[in-house]
Amino acid sequence: MAFTPKTVRLHGDGDTLIIEWSDGHRSAYSYRYLREQCPCATCTDAGSSLDHEPGQLPMLGVKPLKPNRAELVGRYALQIFWNDGHSTGIYTFEYLRELCPCAECESARDKIP
Amino acid sequence: MSKKVSPQEVLQALKQVEDPALHQDIVSLGYVKDIEVGFERATIAIELKAPSPSGQPDLAGSIRKAVEALGVPNVEVEITSPAPPPPRGPSNLIPYVKHTIAVASGKGGVGKSTVAANLAVALERQGAKVGLMDTDVYGPSIPSLMGGKQEPRVVEGKLEPPVEWGIKLISMAYFLPEDDAVIWRGPMLHKTIQQFLGDVRWGELDYLIMDMPPGTGDIQLSLSQTIPLTGAVIVSTPQDMALSVAWKAIAMFKKLNIPILGIVENMSYYVCPHCGERDDIFGHGGAREAASRLGFPFLGEIPLNPAIRIQSDGGRPIALDGTSPLAQAYEAVAKALVEQVKSASEQVPQIITE
Repeated sequence: MAFTPKTVRLHGDGDTLIIEWSDGHRSAYSYRYLREQCPCATCTDAGSSLDHEPGQLPMLGVKPLKPNRAELVGRYALQIFWNDGHSTGIYTFEYLRELCPCAECESARDKIP
Repeated sequence: MSKKVSPQEVLQALKQVEDPALHQDIVSLGYVKDIEVGFERATIAIELKAPSPSGQPDLAGSIRKAVEALGVPNVEVEITSPAPPPPRGPSNLIPYVKHTIAVASGKGGVGKSTVAANLAVALERQGAKVGLMDTDVYGPSIPSLMGGKQEPRVVEGKLEPPVEWGIKLISMAYFLPEDDAVIWRGPMLHKTIQQFLGDVRWGELDYLIMDMPPGTGDIQLSLSQTIPLTGAVIVSTPQDMALSVAWKAIAMFKKLNIPILGIVENMSYYVCPHCGERDDIFGHGGAREAASRLGFPFLGEIPLNPAIRIQSDGGRPIALDGTSPLAQAYEAVAKALVEQVKSASEQVPQIITE
């Protein structure tokens, strides 16, 4: 596996998770984007799981989504514990790198047919 | 009014003093460590249960007031709090273990456990705090290699590991009658590995060495996925066949993003005890050559020598005999390993919560 983060930064109040990679690249993911990309079986099966999350009745006001904490899984992945109670997604570093939303990675992805 | 009061009277008075944060009196909280009384004076030693950076200035004031009310004009209050816990390592399961090192090989019978035990001893002799975990639940051999006569004890719901030659040990051998076998499927193995990590009182360690079973199976996978291993040491004998299987172990660690700390060539050569002539039974230098070809550090070579086997069977690892060339071989490997661990642990991703 080629890509390893040097640091994973969770902003207590902000809405982005920032990864500094060992190759110097920097990725900033919005929490909502990351949560939508959750790779776990439930989420990938249910499509966009956010619409179906229990306890998220819109008239009660939606709590801003954020991770309570994150933990390393071995040395190859990140497990994120979201404040909506979800935590089964194991985001491998490779996957996180693929998800990088920066313009550079975005355009590199577009070139691949 | 001034008089000499008894410690019991002081203790009674202290029962009126509450911890401002917990709203409970300091006597039943067990804070009062010592009371010393003299003529017109009293010294009260308080030990807080949790680290408190401020030292609780309010508490000292209330204690002084309560004791002064007994008619003691000079009241001294000493508040101590336990030292804050040592800095946490990368894993939540074993928070005070700095580095975790897997000793692995592809093939069985290359001397993994012997190398693991002697490396642990060599590291301990260099002044490190070391634990040795026998993850080979099928063929546990660490306790007999380390001369284990003690057994783990249960203390407050956790296992207190036995200590042999200064090294904390855990092994499946402690939990099985000698002639019984572990016949388990994956989930049981996973649970055991988790317990060996989380339910053992490892305490503060510089290195936790993990002796792996041969192969690339459930145990290797469980361990690699449960904690962010600092890295893996690959043990191989010099012949091509053992090396080709060792690459499979390396491939597994690479897939899991675990750094290869280096390769040890075991049974590297044989020196005849009668004529002193050297014989390369399995060939020699194969591991060194392969390591340099693939860009992995080569940590050193350990000769094939009956003394290692005899010492191991007797439960006294050869690395303890500092002057013997065999112990020096292990010492050299341990030193090379420490260097590699330094750079590998800098690469463990840091999670920063702000």
